[in-house]
Amino acid sequence: MSLEEPEPDDALAAVGETDEGLDYDALAALLGDRLLDREQHVNAEGFVVRPDLSCLTAQQYGDRYESIYHLRKYDEPTHELSVVVPSPTDDPHNESANPVYRTADWHEREAYDLVGIEYEDHPDLRRILLPETWQGHPLSGDFDGEEPQIVTLREHANPLQEDHRGDDADTMFVNIGPHHPATHGVLHIKTVLDGEQIADLEPDIGYLHRCEEQMCEQGTYRHQIMPYPDRWDYISAGILNEWAYARAAEDLADIDVPKYAQVVRTMSAELCRIAAHMLAAGTFALDVIGDFTATFMYAVQQREQVQNILEDLTGQRLMFNYLRLGGVAWDIPEPRDEFFEKIRDYLDDLPENVAEFHNLLTSNEILQIRTVDTGVLPPEEARSYGATGPVARGSGIDYDLRRDDPYGYYPELDWDVVTEPGCDNFARLLVRLREVEESARIIEQCVDLLEDWPEDEREIQSNVPRTLRPDPDTEIYRAVEAAKGELGIYIRSDGTDKPARFKIRSPCFSNLQTLPVMSEGEYVPDMIASLGSLDIVLGEVDR
Amino acid sequence: MQATATGNATGNATGTTVDMLVDVAGLGAYGPGGEAVAALAVAAVIGTLMLTNTALAGPWAKRKITAAFTDRIAVNRVGPFGLLIIVADAVRLLSKELIVPEGVDRPAWDLAPLVIASSALLGFAVIPFGSGLQLADPETGLAYVFAVASIASLGLIMAGYASNNKYSFMGGLRAIAQNLAYEIPLVITGASVVLFTGSLQMSEIVAAQTAPLFELGPVAIPSWYAFVNPFAFVLFLVANMAEIGRNPFDIPEAPTEIVAGYQTEYSSVYFVLVYLGEFIHIFLGGAIITTVFLGGPAGPVLPGIVWFMVKIWGIFLLTQWARSAIPRVRIDQLISIGWKGMLVLSFANLVLTAVIVGVIAG
Repeated sequence: MSLEEPEPDDALAAVGETDEGLDYDALAALLGDRLLDREQHVNAEGFVVRPDLSCLTAQQYGDRYESIYHLRKYDEPTHELSVVVPSPTDDPHNESANPVYRTADWHEREAYDLVGIEYEDHPDLRRILLPETWQGHPLSGDFDGEEPQIVTLREHANPLQEDHRGDDADTMFVNIGPHHPATHGVLHIKTVLDGEQIADLEPDIGYLHRCEEQMCEQGTYRHQIMPYPDRWDYISAGILNEWAYARAAEDLADIDVPKYAQVVRTMSAELCRIAAHMLAAGTFALDVIGDFTATFMYAVQQREQVQNILEDLTGQRLMFNYLRLGGVAWDIPEPRDEFFEKIRDYLDDLPENVAEFHNLLTSNEILQIRTVDTGVLPPEEARSYGATGPVARGSGIDYDLRRDDPYGYYPELDWDVVTEPGCDNFARLLVRLREVEESARIIEQCVDLLEDWPEDEREIQSNVPRTLRPDPDTEIYRAVEAAKGELGIYIRSDGTDKPARFKIRSPCFSNLQTLPVMSEGEYVPDMIASLGSLDIVLGEVDR
Repeated sequence: MQATATGNATGNATGTTVDMLVDVAGLGAYGPGGEAVAALAVAAVIGTLMLTNTALAGPWAKRKITAAFTDRIAVNRVGPFGLLIIVADAVRLLSKELIVPEGVDRPAWDLAPLVIASSALLGFAVIPFGSGLQLADPETGLAYVFAVASIASLGLIMAGYASNNKYSFMGGLRAIAQNLAYEIPLVITGASVVLFTGSLQMSEIVAAQTAPLFELGPVAIPSWYAFVNPFAFVLFLVANMAEIGRNPFDIPEAPTEIVAGYQTEYSSVYFVLVYLGEFIHIFLGGAIITTVFLGGPAGPVLPGIVWFMVKIWGIFLLTQWARSAIPRVRIDQLISIGWKGMLVLSFANLVLTAVIVGVIAG
């Protein structure tokens, strides 16, 4: 980690700046317990700090490889820092950040898998998205895409081998997934069981890898990329995802969004959040209660109503493709009154419906003994693994980009960030149910605003050039609070109308890494419940 | 299947439908052979009745009931009220390929569905359905019905172990643990009723519940054991839920955890048998509860057999309700509820009942 000597950013530099240069002790005091180490270098003193690793982007330039560690603080997400670690083309290797940030584990594995950078001292540098027999690294310059790949499982591999630790070990290896009723998609969990308890567990992902990043690199900024985000988190969170791309691209190309469009965006995004959280609560109930449960159907009905509203607005029920750079695709459908009436009707019934969930789920004693104090994720672990969204807020981490790194119309509205100190499966369920209520508050205020918006000021899109060509070598990392957490996008432009590197920081990818922490030593049913409470979507994990 | 039931149960039949049939049809003249023919006939009637309920009406009703709980419509296209879905289902399930996985323990794997389905059916041999329909009425009726019902556990273990599948294996292990933990409270609670009745004979147990408990205006509340000892009734109901493996105790199959438990590897006809066995088991559980706690076929106006069916279906409805609404407990929690809670409570109930019965008798 010695390479990660951040030049103090403006906020920090202002503190430690004196006439004789920098006052390092003042800086150290400012960094507090984030300061891991101080090092003496020839020209200056260096700090090894720990903000929290948000994302790792690896890419290849003509003459070098780069690993970019995007760091941001949980307490102050606008304090961002990108540490660029170059490495030579002929032998790309870096020091691993894994000892400092646990989340670097998977992020570095992905960088190794796709780009081909070797990370020294990484505990487990294997392929993560591609099959282990894959030849080459598809995002590196010398990869030959024409070369046929032979993808087979290793022959004569005995999956039980590592499971027999010593002669008197009586553990059992079980593959949970990729086809299993509770894995919420094609997730494969390699599990070693000791009786009913989990001795060891490793999520194996990549079954739904669709090269989303590369597909985005082949689309033009203006229109061709926007449909893809809908397909990352496809649990009706489409507009939230679209916003991530819109925010990154708009900041990259300096596009303003009219206020009216921001309000429409905020409203539609929060509708998506309700739909996504409802389904999350429903599937979690499914995992804990069993199949054919009333709660699941009730949740789906709630989602259905939201989808009807979104269908009226966007013309689509799932893959909305509603946001445009600089605004939204079209205005509220006519007659507007009817549309607002529909939303209000839904919001009027919502408290009663949420109360029913509390009645059926959270106040049920059996559900409580099943979920309270199971799947415990302590806040320190959550931070180290880069958990965000309801998973982090369920561990008492007060972190919500809508408030902390404001965008859209959120700062003008009156709403609260929901946190629960429980750190367990129950807390995560509670956070989601309470966030649904907060989203309803936001939507209600947006509807009020939109209803009274003067007719001649309803500007849905700003003026955006037909073809966007951001300046060469501009880079940007922007994130929004999606349904599952911090959905960030890194874009580097090379002067053309297509991104040179497009990297998605998926919240589910980071959140899923916490599963072993939550589940080891627990019972199988609790692991299933923890997985349900993480609310992952494999489309977003694998991209 | 039914022939076996007959063979087991006719030995000490007294005052049952079989005797009636022997008298009416004059089969007595043919000695034991005539009695066997009569018993076969009655067994066929009871078997058909129960299979109609469990295999035909059960799955259809289950769909409709679950749909009502979850705000859906369920089957409504095939025939009136979707009733013909039963035929479609039968054709679908029977025409599927029977997949025999490599490495299954053949005789045990093939026998398990038969054991699961037939053991529960055997239990109906001693159930008094009312309107005079009862195949056999041995003095050990209640003990017999508990005994055959628990043979199903053997079937679950065979299925789980022989399937050569880790999920099945875990399901089988869970089934053993669960049945051990709940069979004892079930039997002990049943025994507390026997203390009141002084007999294990099913007809005696029903007869003991006919006297009115107290008068409530014009309505006489009968002395059903559910009213006499509600505590035992609730205990029995809970233990029965675990015995038949329904929510909140559907742990041996727990679809979201261990796929389908012991029935993971079964397909086609074998799956039908396992599924049928579960349904028959639910209905047998309902029949035992009805006989022991709800006065058997007793009820006003309508014939006894109708009342009996209504009560069984009531219990079935309860299991489906629980299935839709109540979360599943974890296996270790289930075991501790069973051994630390239910067992203690059931013994307390037994001792209390013994004292009360002793005081009344004294």
